[in-house]
This record gives sequence, structure tokens and C-alpha cells, in this order.
Amino acid sequence: MTWRLSDLAPCFEGVIPSIIATAAADGMPNVSYLSHVVRVDDDHVALSNQFFAKTAANVRANPQVTLILVDGVTGAQFLLDIRFVRSVDAGPLFDRIALQLKASSAQVGMAEVMRLKSADIFRVCAIERVPSPCETPTSAPTPAPDLCALANVLAAMDRQPGAEEIIETLLQAVRSVLGYDHALVLDHDQARGCLTTTGSLGYAPSGLGSEIALGDGLIGAAAISRQTIKVSDMSRVRRLGEAIRPEGPGAENVTRTVAFPHLPAAMSQIAVPMIARGAVVGVLFVESLRRLAFREEDEAALSILAGQAAAALRASEMEEAEAEPGAPLGRPAPVSMADVRVVHHCYDDSVFVDGVYIVKGVAGALLRLMVDWQLTEGRREFTNRELRLAAGSRMPDFKDNLETRLLLLRRRLEEKQAPLRLERIARGRLRLDVAGTMTLETGGDDRTA
Amino acid sequence: MRIDERLVAFFHRPLMSIIAATDACGKPAAGRGIGFHLMEDREGMDVIFSGWQWPGLVAAIAERGKLAVTFVSPADYVSFQIKGSASLRPTEARDVAEADRFIAAAMTELEGLGVPRGVIMPWLCPQEPRVARLRISEIYVQTPGPLAGMLAGAAAG
Repeated sequence: MTWRLSDLAPCFEGVIPSIIATAAADGMPNVSYLSHVVRVDDDHVALSNQFFAKTAANVRANPQVTLILVDGVTGAQFLLDIRFVRSVDAGPLFDRIALQLKASSAQVGMAEVMRLKSADIFRVCAIERVPSPCETPTSAPTPAPDLCALANVLAAMDRQPGAEEIIETLLQAVRSVLGYDHALVLDHDQARGCLTTTGSLGYAPSGLGSEIALGDGLIGAAAISRQTIKVSDMSRVRRLGEAIRPEGPGAENVTRTVAFPHLPAAMSQIAVPMIARGAVVGVLFVESLRRLAFREEDEAALSILAGQAAAALRASEMEEAEAEPGAPLGRPAPVSMADVRVVHHCYDDSVFVDGVYIVKGVAGALLRLMVDWQLTEGRREFTNRELRLAAGSRMPDFKDNLETRLLLLRRRLEEKQAPLRLERIARGRLRLDVAGTMTLETGGDDRTA
Repeated sequence: MRIDERLVAFFHRPLMSIIAATDACGKPAAGRGIGFHLMEDREGMDVIFSGWQWPGLVAAIAERGKLAVTFVSPADYVSFQIKGSASLRPTEARDVAEADRFIAAAMTELEGLGVPRGVIMPWLCPQEPRVARLRISEIYVQTPGPLAGMLAGAAAG
């Protein structure tokens, strides 16, 4: 059988180290493990060469190189006869290799140690399968994602009335079209330089409202680099943050931080940037219990879904902004005589309802605004347009994702079973329902609630 | 070059090994090791590999007589590379026994690190064991990091 590089996809996942053998001009060989081999096209591979000066020197003295690649699924080995072509230390290919290396090494706390200096490009002259003492089938080609199902989802997404339905459609498609049961949608908060979880599938607790800083981990790196990043075998990953994770239901009332959702046995993770007209709207994050879960075809399908969702969210945001207000404004009608105490902290716009942390940032500022209007003007219905105007004057960076902030706020109120509920009553219009008599206080800057 | 006390301690750990030799045309051959014996004078070692799985290594050692072997401790990536001149010698019963020990230790270690047994098995092939006797001329630290490529071991006595 004639092997092509495209037949060896599981060998390029970085799960099992590859082996590189080189020879000096005097014939003395050199052999070492390689953290990353990247398939450039069907005739070329790129190797990360961050440490081994001897390998680099040998390659330049004698371009004949032998590589052993290992199928991360079956353990099957392949012997490649390759020849050095050139070295790259800048440009798109270098960036792609550097990003892959950074993503996986950051997960094991070696981001600095594993910093890429250059990558070498090789032409592949021959590929041979190494005999095995046991039966090792090449990874069976798994069926590609169903394109008809994908097309149906894309069409459905375009018909969704608002951010909530778009995000829900995206998450359900991750499950129904691609078969993954754990996924998150994170909204890009440009003003605060972070990503906030606004959609959650398969996690308990949901983690809605949890945040990741831009550049942090797989998700932050995907947003900042605008590229899909994945890890295909988490078994060696040290979860450094686990020990300091806030635990217990009361923790977020103290830290004003929602714990990031966690799938302890995850073996594969992928973060796909959601880009609309060049802007990173958010990140779609998917986890799986299987090693090497995300094949190239899955990556492509997730990118299509993420791109379509980003475009739909952006379009929905614009439509909501343009929707005309006009509904009669009503007075609040408390359904209960219970006291509802809302406390807003100015320094981070965090809001607590009856002592329970709800949300912070833009979503917190919006809630305070609506509570204030209800108490001072007697209104309980509001339009996106007036919220955008009022909040936008205070936070000039905030303009393109009002809808996702309102969605986050609505879901957090529901999840925390707060006596306040936000209802979307028409396009561009919502209502704040309060089960009791509400008071609004400004909290001190003690940062402990 | 001689294997010093620190390296002797390293060789008592469960290890994996990879091997390279160069053929008459200057092309490197590569494969995996399945065992080793340290020589009493610590200036040499026997390296065991499957001739059935890695015929290119057999040919290259016979043609050029130069060998490089890297040993790695899978648990912490500590690695050393040993180089020198080499020749093939006949395989003995003790080589087969050593291959069994090495393979069992490596299998247990890798499984403990979460690598499925079915994935490991193709790498540790005991068929047709061949032995290369290596006279050590160079020893290097190969652990990923800033010390990679530094000399290790002790000058030969």
C-alpha cells in the first residue's frame, strides 16, 4: 500500500511523541523525540525544533532525515524518509506551529520552556509502515459530519429571533450533528478583556457567567490568535488551577466569580473562535471524554457552525438595536409583599439580590439601570435601544453585544432563582418582573460583598 | 566516556529507548530499543532491538558501525543520549530475558501514565532480538529544557 500524509492524520495530533534521526557529516547519528510534527501539505511536514542544536546542525550538514510517526489512536508506527528544505522563523506557517506548541505546552505548565524558535520544513520522499508484533489497524476512517444536517442547522440558525435561540441552536448542533455532549459558548467582552460564558451544554453547574481572560488557556488563546486550538490527550495535563478553584455554592458570593465549568475526565478539548466580519465575537469550546476526539472534519464543521453563529449574533444585535420602542409603559405590580434587596457595587458593577451574587460587568450595570428606572420612573418595560444609549454613554467600548449580556443576565437570574426575572416580550423590548417590593442600595467598595 | 553513578541510578528506572544508526549512504535508520546491559567497565553497553521490526538498523550498524541511543524516563521526560561505535554480536539467552524485563517495566510505566496497552504494544516488539555492542564516546543530557545537549557522564578512566 502506498501511504500519503493525509492517511496519517492521527499521527499529527501531538499525542505520542515522534522520533527524529539525523546524521552528522562524519556519520555519527543523533536520535531524539519531537514534540510536534505538522503536516504542511501532502508532500511536506514541518518540525518544531526548539531545543536540539545537534539535530539542527546535522540537518544542515546532511539533509537526509528519518522520522518515526505514531498513530495516537492505534499505536501504529510509520517510518518516513524526509529531506530538509528550509527553515522558517516567521510567517503564517511558523505562527501555526508556534500556536499549537504553545497551546499544548501551556496545558502542562511548560509554555516558557517550550517556546518555539524556528520550524524546519521537510519534503517527504517515502512512507513505510513499521511491522507490528500485534494487529494494529490504521485508524479506521470515521464518517465525516453529515453535511445535510449541518446545512439544516445553518438555515435554522438564520431564522432564530435572538441571541438566546442562536446560542441554543449552536449548542444543540454540537450535540446532534457532531455528537459531543459538553460545550460552551463564551461572549467576547472587549472592554474587560475577557470571555464570559453565555451558553452551556452538559455541565452541572452550568458555569454561566464564568470568565476567562484573553490569552488564558485554550479558550483565551483561541480568541486572541483567532485560530482553532485543540488538545487531543489530556491524560498528561496538570490542572494547575484545580487546587485553588472556589468550591461550594456560597463561594461566588464571596469571590464574585463564577467557577468555570469542569469535565474532570475530559481527554480532548477544542476552542474555536467565533468570527464575524473580522471581529472575534466569542469562542465555541467543546470537550470530549475520548482521546483524539476532534478530527480535521470535526474542526471544519465546528468552524462553520461558529462562524454562522457569530454572523447571526451580530445580525440579531443590529436588528434589536434598530427595533422601534412603542409599547405602553406599565407600572410595576408586585406579586408578593416580600422585600427584594438589590445591592450594586460600582467598582465592578457586581449586583447581589438578597445577598446572592448575580452578575458583574456590563450585565450588572444593565440590571442596576433597569432596577433604578423601575424604582424612580415606575416602568418595568425597557427597550434595547434605551439601554444601549444609557449604558453606552458610560461604557464607550460596549456597543456590539448588548443582547448577549442581557441573555447572560436573564439566565443568571433564573439559575440563581432570584425574585427578579427578565422577560423578552418582543424584538428589542424586555420586562423586569419583581416578586416583591424592591430596594436598591449602593454597596461599599469592600470587595467582599 | 564512562557512565557515572548518576546515570547508573537513572538506568534502574523504567525506561523507553530509541535508536539511530547511519548507513553507507549517510542516511539515518531509526528504531526502538527493547533492553540493554551496561558493561562492567561502564564504558560500553549492549543495546537490544527487534531485527524483525527494524531491519534498517541491522543493515546500518553493519555498514557504518555508528550508533546513538536515547533513553527516556516516561514519568518525567528525563533523557540521556549515548553515542559511539557499535557492532552486532550474536543474541544470547540473557538478552531475551532482559528484553522481557525491559518490555514489562516499560509497559507498566506507560499504562500507569494513561497510555492504553493496545497503543503501547506495537512499540515494544520482542521478535528476533538483535544486540549492538556500543563503545561509548559521547553522553548528552536530552531532557527537554535549557540543559538539553549538555555533556553528561564521566571521562573514561
